[in-house]
Amino acid sequence: MSTSYGRPELSEEDRERLKRVYADLQLLATSDVPAVAAAARLAVAQVAAALSGQGLEYELYSNRWK
Amino acid sequence: MGQGELPRGYWNPNSETMPRDELRRHQLHRLKRQLEHAHAGSEFWRGRMDKAGLRPEAITSLEAYAARFPILKREEITAAEAISPPYGTLPSVEVGLAIRHHQTSGTSGAQPVRTFDTARDWAWAADMWATGAYAMGVRAADTALVAFGYGLFIGFWGLQYGLEKIGCRVIPTGSFDSEKRVQLLVEQGCTVLACTPTYALRLALTAEQMGINLAREAGVKVVIASGEPRPEATKKKIEEAFGAFCGDTAGMTEAATIFMFECAEAPGGCHIIETDYIEEVVDPETLQPVGYGERGVRIMTSLGREGIQVFRYWTNDLVVKRPHTDCGCGRTWDLYEGGIQGRHDDMRKIRGVWFMPSMVEDVVRRFPEIDEFQCTLQLIDELETLVIQIEPMAGSDPAGHPALRVRFAAQVKRELSLTPIVEVAAGLPRFEMKARRFRDLTAPAASG
Repeated sequence: MSTSYGRPELSEEDRERLKRVYADLQLLATSDVPAVAAAARLAVAQVAAALSGQGLEYELYSNRWK
Repeated sequence: MGQGELPRGYWNPNSETMPRDELRRHQLHRLKRQLEHAHAGSEFWRGRMDKAGLRPEAITSLEAYAARFPILKREEITAAEAISPPYGTLPSVEVGLAIRHHQTSGTSGAQPVRTFDTARDWAWAADMWATGAYAMGVRAADTALVAFGYGLFIGFWGLQYGLEKIGCRVIPTGSFDSEKRVQLLVEQGCTVLACTPTYALRLALTAEQMGINLAREAGVKVVIASGEPRPEATKKKIEEAFGAFCGDTAGMTEAATIFMFECAEAPGGCHIIETDYIEEVVDPETLQPVGYGERGVRIMTSLGREGIQVFRYWTNDLVVKRPHTDCGCGRTWDLYEGGIQGRHDDMRKIRGVWFMPSMVEDVVRRFPEIDEFQCTLQLIDELETLVIQIEPMAGSDPAGHPALRVRFAAQVKRELSLTPIVEVAAGLPRFEMKARRFRDLTAPAASG
């Protein structure tokens, strides 16, 4: 394997942060303020991709917070 | 820039270097979630699982899944969609959650496959593209020109978003012609070009006709090629023309995004994104799995999409799987040797010899005097015969065409063990996406 491949990892603290921000965004996605709910729904989708990409737990179907 | 100078790295180090046993557990975990979601939300998938006597909880291993879950054909998707267009009984979530619609072109005469993506689907789709582009050496400082029509066909739409996600400056060239695109490549200092392999060659030729040497005058370091099988000779020609690394990738409308990519190590194949797909390769006759190094048809299961899901989809793509250890990048994702090698439904036995249209392209690309080609299979004197039309480069001396025809025919015979009829032609069709250069005129549909 080429030595130029770094393998950065999330710290435990950052893993928790990622999960926490995902939970917060899910709550905001049901906000009564349209602009806030819309932004949170898009953001939760992006964070979901990051969670999934890191191999962390995922349980995130959109219809569950509709 | 040579391939050796490209930056190396992983978009998601954890996923891309996950040990194989952990990867299998990860796939099974995600598969179960996907099946539960499909059973709960999709009338089509619930009916299919119930009919097969397969509740999601019955799938306890990847082996059980491959052995028992029925294969899905394209016609079944279009039939399900026809029940109540546009999406019929397929969706696993309410269509109201969709943020975009795409469909296949339907140019082959079949009903188009229609599909939608939710916000989560689309974020995932872009992330798959980002995974591939990053592995090719694309970084935030890059400027990318995407030569794509941006219509209903999903094509490079996901790449646009994937590149934005990486942080690139993206130039969407929608309806621009080739000359304008060449100008932009040079003027904007583009370091990345995305298009089909065929179109990359078209741009290189256009530049030559404009008196521009792209390898010297443009700063392209990566050509992201997708949308067609790409023989090695075509890759080499693109890399020489641009002085860049040509990375292969492939996706499909039914998946919303890409499922494989070629990393900057250029291992002669593409890594399968195995955290997000289960990819089986089966013998087209027996439907039994084939091993590493054996050609078969690709059966795809997507683990990433919530709106329209696919399980064990018969893609018709011919592939040969190789172990991940054949590449030095450290990814634990297996490879498809040479990417997609052809289409099962394009594969023919002509007078006892296996033939695929990509074999002709492989020869054509080593003849710099040939600009474009078309081939047909015809019945001539009751014998199946390969007829190849070649269009010489514009401005070439017609006096040399007969000799070119003879040399080309001899080379095809030498490499394919078939004696073709070769004709010199003009005005052959050009393609930006999904080049169609082969027609079987012996098939019953062709005569109707």
